[in-house]
Amino acid sequence: MAILELNRVTKRFGGLVAANDVSFAVNEAEVAFIVGPNGAGKTTLFNLISGVFHPDSGSIRFLGRDISRIRPDDAARLGIGRTFQLVKPLRNLTVLENVMLGAFLHTASRAKAADAAREVLSYLQMERFEAAPAGGLPLPMLKRLEIARALAIRPRVILLDEVMAGLSTAEALALAETLKRLPERGVAAVAGVEHVMQVVMKIADRVVVLDQGALIAEGAPREVVREPRVVEAYLGARYKELGL
Amino acid sequence: MDLYAALQAIVNGVLTGALYALVGMGMALIFGVMRIVNFAHGAFMMLGMYAAYVLFTRTGLIPYLSFPLIAVAMFGLGYLVYQGLLRRIHGGSDFMQILLTLGIGLGLTDAVQLAFGADYHQINFAMLGVNLHLGSHITVSAPWLTSFAIAAALAGGLYFFVRHTMMGRAARAIAQNRGAAPLMGIHLHRVQAFCFGIGVAAAAVAGSLLLPVFYLYPGVGDQFTLKAFVIVVLGGMESIAGAAIAGLALGVVENLTSLYIGNEWALAVDFVIFLLVLSLRPGGIFGSQRA
Amino acid sequence: MKQRTAVFGAGLLAVSLLLPLLVHDDYQLQVLFRVYLFAALGLAWNLVGGYAGQLSLGHAAYFGAGAYGLALAARAGIPLWAAFLLLVLAAMAFALLIGGVSFRLSGPYFTLATVAFAEVLHAAAKNLPGVTGGDVGAQVPALFHSHVNRSFYFCAVGLAAAAFAATLLISRSRFGYYLMAIREDQDAALAVGVDVSGFKLRALLVSAALTALGGALYGSMFLFIVPDQVLSIDISNEIAIVAMLGGAGTVAGPLVGAAVLESAAELFKSVFQEAHLLIYGLLLILVVLFAPEGIVGGITAILRRRKRAEAPRRAAGD
Repeated sequence: MAILELNRVTKRFGGLVAANDVSFAVNEAEVAFIVGPNGAGKTTLFNLISGVFHPDSGSIRFLGRDISRIRPDDAARLGIGRTFQLVKPLRNLTVLENVMLGAFLHTASRAKAADAAREVLSYLQMERFEAAPAGGLPLPMLKRLEIARALAIRPRVILLDEVMAGLSTAEALALAETLKRLPERGVAAVAGVEHVMQVVMKIADRVVVLDQGALIAEGAPREVVREPRVVEAYLGARYKELGL
Repeated sequence: MDLYAALQAIVNGVLTGALYALVGMGMALIFGVMRIVNFAHGAFMMLGMYAAYVLFTRTGLIPYLSFPLIAVAMFGLGYLVYQGLLRRIHGGSDFMQILLTLGIGLGLTDAVQLAFGADYHQINFAMLGVNLHLGSHITVSAPWLTSFAIAAALAGGLYFFVRHTMMGRAARAIAQNRGAAPLMGIHLHRVQAFCFGIGVAAAAVAGSLLLPVFYLYPGVGDQFTLKAFVIVVLGGMESIAGAAIAGLALGVVENLTSLYIGNEWALAVDFVIFLLVLSLRPGGIFGSQRA
Repeated sequence: MKQRTAVFGAGLLAVSLLLPLLVHDDYQLQVLFRVYLFAALGLAWNLVGGYAGQLSLGHAAYFGAGAYGLALAARAGIPLWAAFLLLVLAAMAFALLIGGVSFRLSGPYFTLATVAFAEVLHAAAKNLPGVTGGDVGAQVPALFHSHVNRSFYFCAVGLAAAAFAATLLISRSRFGYYLMAIREDQDAALAVGVDVSGFKLRALLVSAALTALGGALYGSMFLFIVPDQVLSIDISNEIAIVAMLGGAGTVAGPLVGAAVLESAAELFKSVFQEAHLLIYGLLLILVVLFAPEGIVGGITAILRRRKRAEAPRRAAGD
């Protein structure tokens, strides 16, 4: 069943239509990808879902509940986790402390939060960085830290904004393996990506394609890549990349 | 009630407001270009006032004639202060630059107190007693009229500088996109130092123009730092023209407040307006919504 | 680290309580009073300015609320213990109002708003002589009638100890972590469910309460207060500088800052008469340019760097 539903969501910033009548749904235990070039509106959608902005028209429902006008911290408390495109580590705290911040949503005890944080860190294979100051980590680890912190709030869905950007293919594939297993934890994943189509094809249950704020295709990966509108928007090198 | 009293208050307000406009425009320039909230602004104004005092007592030169010298000297000081101190925290947090300018202001104020003592001073010369009469009900004192004329001219000059000179355009480029400006061949720190110098000079000239009609003491600048904030926020943080209009408006509001409520409440009213604007229209009355 | 700081604090407290056995001179006790008072004020400010990262330059509002609260309550015939309760509540009420408006603003706008609120209170105190005595001032009841300087000294030590304990407790709790997250990155904090405005407000409430107690103590020590003394921007600046100098965001910072600043001020006063602003200004400039983490932060950084430099040597030596 659908845990996240967007219905005709539109958002304008001055003259720019960042989200144009977008409708799609994400089911429980699903890995969905929102694909589109930079500027297509992925981050805007994530900001809308997580309460940073509110849609001008249309609605967003989470677990059946209308969340179109909530605050970001309420969204997190309801079970929507997110990472940021430009990673936001709390640089002066350790990796463990960063993740504990998420765990604190469910416990006020430092000891319990630390335990929960450690569990998430080991799930993401980051245990050995536990005591490192977050500011000193390389980018791939910072991306994992973002995910770890978001996972620590025990979300039902996690929004991953450009989580693959800046990673090498090998790093991206490694991260993809982790994302693939998220539904086992009861977390649906919605990842916004620009062009790592190999990854998308491998692990996506559902693909949503955006172009200039509008949704141009939605469905299983194999079907979506065959859609003429998608092929048209992603002509050339990407066409080749898809192996068609 | 006496309409003429109100009219007189408005006239006085406009005359005072011109000086406020100059101070405010200086701060708006500094904030607009460098995003620095200059807590030392009033201290520089106070320096200008003391400079005018020294020039008057040593050479007999009245502020209305000595202000160009003061402008140049204070411009130089501002330029050096930027290059020597402010430049070092470029890219740092707001916290840091507020504290740095605060420190500079405190240091300047007390250095002056050490040099001149905490006593009040004032100057006296022929023009001070001269009053002009508009009709039979409105009186305008010659010193205020002169300072108004000079301040208005300088404000106009400042506006012209920002809109029509290369340096002004460079300043606006930096204000709009600090990262891209150097890529366009703009020497970031030189322009910023220049603008800081101009902003400080504007405050100092306003101070020197104020000397004939105000008591001089080391702490005189503090209230003007606060007033400058109010003006800049009202005018829309970065808008020079907005600051000018806000300065005039503030002068009028203060004088009307003095008339109807009482002198002592003028500064408090400034702040109440300030808080209202911050809460309701953070972009200022003239600015773009960017708080 | 957690145990170490608590032990250090306990030790310092013990020494402080025993100090009057050595120090008998009234003037010296007054200086010490000022040191501990500003340590307490700095610690209180630190919760908002250091941990939560919100630069308030309007804490004089709470300091003055405390001083005038005590004066006005006493004049109304309210017993001292109730007066103290009331002044704390009054300060917290101001905090709710000021925080409610100011925390919606970011960066320099927030700071300016805190300044504006304090100045409005300053002007109100000056212009309402019927209530506050205006510029003439208000009488504050004496808390002690014998061994005055020593008793006030102990009170200041007590307040500083309370503020230190509060800071320690908060910094070790979820509350403290949330504050630090708010300081580092508000959006990240929101994304993990932190009620940012709620927690900022909570920090301010604690801060305001402690600051008001400090103001009441100060007022009672001098027996007479005027607006320019307890509601001025100078007090706000001094409080912030004490914390910044010592190290905002650290537990020991404000203690060190108060000790250094107040002693330096006393030294300067004897040499330069009224030069206290100059020392604040110079120290502030030096700290911002060369030691933005403050004295304690700077020392911690040096120690950390040395430890990191040793690590490879140690590994190689094995």
